[in-house]
Amino acid sequence: MSRPNYAEISVDRLTKHYARMRAVDDLSFTVHAGRVTGFLGPNGAGKTTALRMILGLVTPTSGAATIGGVRYVDMPDPIRQVGAVLEASGAHRGRSARNHLRIICRASGLPDQRADEVLALVGLSTVATRKFKSFSLGMRQRLGIAAAMLGDPRVLILDEPANGLDPEGIRWMRDLLRALAAEGRTVLVSSHLLGEMQQLADDVVIIAAGRLLRQGPVAEVLGETAGTARVRVRTPQPDQLAATLRDARLEVVATPDGLLRVSGADAARVGHLAFTAGVELHELTGESADLERAFLDLTAGKAGAR
Amino acid sequence: MNLVSAELLKLRTTSLWWIFALLLVPLYGVALAFNWLAARAIGALGPEAENISFSSFSVERIVGNLYTSGQFGGVLLVLLLSAILVTNEFFHLTATATFLTTPRRELVILAKMVVSVLIAVLVWLLTTALNLVLAPVALTSTVGDTHLGEPYVWQAIGLNLLVHVLWALVGVGCGVLIRSQIGATITLTVLYVVGTQILTAVFALLANLVDDSILRMRIIIPTLASDLLVSGPQSADDLPRWVGAAVLLAYAALAGALGTLITRQRDIA
Repeated sequence: MSRPNYAEISVDRLTKHYARMRAVDDLSFTVHAGRVTGFLGPNGAGKTTALRMILGLVTPTSGAATIGGVRYVDMPDPIRQVGAVLEASGAHRGRSARNHLRIICRASGLPDQRADEVLALVGLSTVATRKFKSFSLGMRQRLGIAAAMLGDPRVLILDEPANGLDPEGIRWMRDLLRALAAEGRTVLVSSHLLGEMQQLADDVVIIAAGRLLRQGPVAEVLGETAGTARVRVRTPQPDQLAATLRDARLEVVATPDGLLRVSGADAARVGHLAFTAGVELHELTGESADLERAFLDLTAGKAGAR
Repeated sequence: MNLVSAELLKLRTTSLWWIFALLLVPLYGVALAFNWLAARAIGALGPEAENISFSSFSVERIVGNLYTSGQFGGVLLVLLLSAILVTNEFFHLTATATFLTTPRRELVILAKMVVSVLIAVLVWLLTTALNLVLAPVALTSTVGDTHLGEPYVWQAIGLNLLVHVLWALVGVGCGVLIRSQIGATITLTVLYVVGTQILTAVFALLANLVDDSILRMRIIIPTLASDLLVSGPQSADDLPRWVGAAVLLAYAALAGALGTLITRQRDIA
């Protein structure tokens, strides 16, 4: 069976109204193959509802979402196309991990042995016959990923997969998702852990109050929102340095305790200008742009805007 | 077929099935003992017994009951287990995994109906096998004849299978409609165990208030329909057997269709 080895997720004007709120409001974005896309937003931004609509579990009020051009509910073999990890509690408490996976294999016509293969992939082989209720949150997340990998899908959708994982587990997950994207798969990961996303994602989609705020490569989104680099500089001659920097067309804000905040240049440039002007420096710190600040800038005042 | 296999695996891989199997044992035991005692009472009357025919105390009725011992409990357990096949998915939050694997949700409901019918057949096979061994023993020791040659015995056994299957379908349909596990279990148990008394009283009251013809409508009470199917018309006014089957089938179809429509629309969150 031949199939294209990549598939985009395309979200087109997706909207979900509940009785008293718009959980998702006219949301459009695209998720590209071969990249990890971070789906970011404050709690209650509508991330989970959007993902559940993409996966056909929640019916949109209007709009549509397709994966490789096909709606999830129209796929004859969705498990082979899309793997999803939605919540860490999605198995029967009294059933073993292996049986939980075998049921999915049976329903989708996969051989039972796939259950053991994916358990090995996520490092749960030794607890395959243990009941789900004895699993820690981290083990449940791994089981969720195992279930998502059963059909060797070309698209992966994960809702807050880092929840409940220890730092080692988070590194394991990051390496796994990066490797899967490197194979050409499409990976969409929702999270509110921004630092983690900065290390993991190639692209970001940022939403708040159900609406799209920004979409694009991480570097681009950082550049747009955090603007140019900022530098903190401390000197016994603040007035002289401020004048020098303003001559060089840099923006300078002085604080009463002698600290200058400079934007539009990096630490090397500010240091050089101070040196040539003969100004003594006591501190020179570059503040690199980061996703966290970009995110806070973007979502400021919007989280509670329903 | 894949989905039926998956549903059977779901059933086999939790402790639910053997809890129900254990529950069946005392229910069957009590039913058998009761019918055995009834046979003894008839045996004590001697040959005149053949001439007696109150509504529920004829030789035919008691022999039939003995060969279908365990029907009350068996059908109750089949009904509840069928409903739980559905409600379990929501109670244990497995609906997400199930509907991600099979986005065409009506196929999942259909597979559950097939499995519920298989459960019904299995329970019927089990109790019938026991009855075919124990009922002849009971009958020879009381009335002195197994009655195995009588066609009505075999008709009763066949109808016993039919009620098991029909109630299984009603169970799945109600499980889809009443998503709450506890709600479905309690509703169905009450309906099945004391529904006849309560609903007959309601119909009597309505007939009193409005018009006597309403009383004829009481056949739409599922347990009464089931009784009609099993026992046949008891008096000249009673409707024929097949009406009972039709009513049960209508319930199963209505609950199943309505429930499936709702399940298709419902947001799984």
